[in-house]
Amino acid sequence: MFKTRKSKQKGTYIVRITSTCFLISTMIALGAVSLAFSAFSSSSVLAFIGLSLTFWGVLLLYIAPKRHVPLEMLTVASLSTLRNMEKLLTSMSQCEKGIYLPPEYMHDVESSIVFVSFNEQTLLPGTRQADKEEMCIKNPKGMFLTPPGLELSTLFEKQLGTSFLAVGLDFLREKLPDLLTNNLEIAEGAEVSVDNSIVKVQLENHIFQALCKETRKLPNTHKFLGCLLSSAIACALAKATRKPIIIMEETQDGETTKIQYRMLGE
Amino acid sequence: MQIPLTFWDISEWLAVMSIILLIASQLASAYKGASTALFNKKRLRIASLTMGILFLATVAFHIYQITKNI
Repeated sequence: MFKTRKSKQKGTYIVRITSTCFLISTMIALGAVSLAFSAFSSSSVLAFIGLSLTFWGVLLLYIAPKRHVPLEMLTVASLSTLRNMEKLLTSMSQCEKGIYLPPEYMHDVESSIVFVSFNEQTLLPGTRQADKEEMCIKNPKGMFLTPPGLELSTLFEKQLGTSFLAVGLDFLREKLPDLLTNNLEIAEGAEVSVDNSIVKVQLENHIFQALCKETRKLPNTHKFLGCLLSSAIACALAKATRKPIIIMEETQDGETTKIQYRMLGE
Repeated sequence: MQIPLTFWDISEWLAVMSIILLIASQLASAYKGASTALFNKKRLRIASLTMGILFLATVAFHIYQITKNI
């Protein structure tokens, strides 16, 4: 709200006041003046006006978001990284599958990683093999990549106040729809269903639709890593189930997005 | 020189404000609301609940005073 930047002259600061900030400051100042006058004139009407103006000023200051950016900004800012990812995956012409690995494969169990396999058969790397510095491994042939939705999945954990490692699939099935719709307001509706080794997630009008649409234009990234939201949910599923996860399908039908995951080793 | 509001005036004011805030926090949604009016819904809910609790505290105090006089 208050934007401060350092001036060219040493030690001086320029404070830019936005219109919202000006409005709130005026309300608080008017409220304070009105309260002071009410004390002098013994007017309860002035006291009520002053109290209300001050209260609403402080409340608006409290509930106003720190900073917000249009959704288009997020989409365009993420595109270059995704295009780089696409170039990398295209250059590795042998890519066959993208597997979200459970924490057992990493030293840092709170992190997540995708193993892009170069084999048609689903061969998984050895436990802790993902810890090594190299990106590509020879046995089994493949490479490790950081999932695009890793940080979003960490945000999910922060909002839920628990690590997905400490919970199971039932917790995720129960809490994820509420988290996506009410807590983070990412989607207007969400549904998670589990059918043996298949996990289906249905989202209504989610905010990453534009970004996911752009990701679909990048076939390899979309196929192996998924879009930002499907990747974040895959990270959560891999951690909660402790099983490797593959994004089977991600389709968009109007405002409804359907994502299908498969748990390996069932 | 003192602010001409009694304890009961403040109590009534708290009641009105908590009702307005509780309704606002329940009706407000990022999807249904205007895109220009952005605010932290969670903080609005906290503020409304705080006001409600403060009002209930004044009511409790009032009840305490009545029982004390009896």
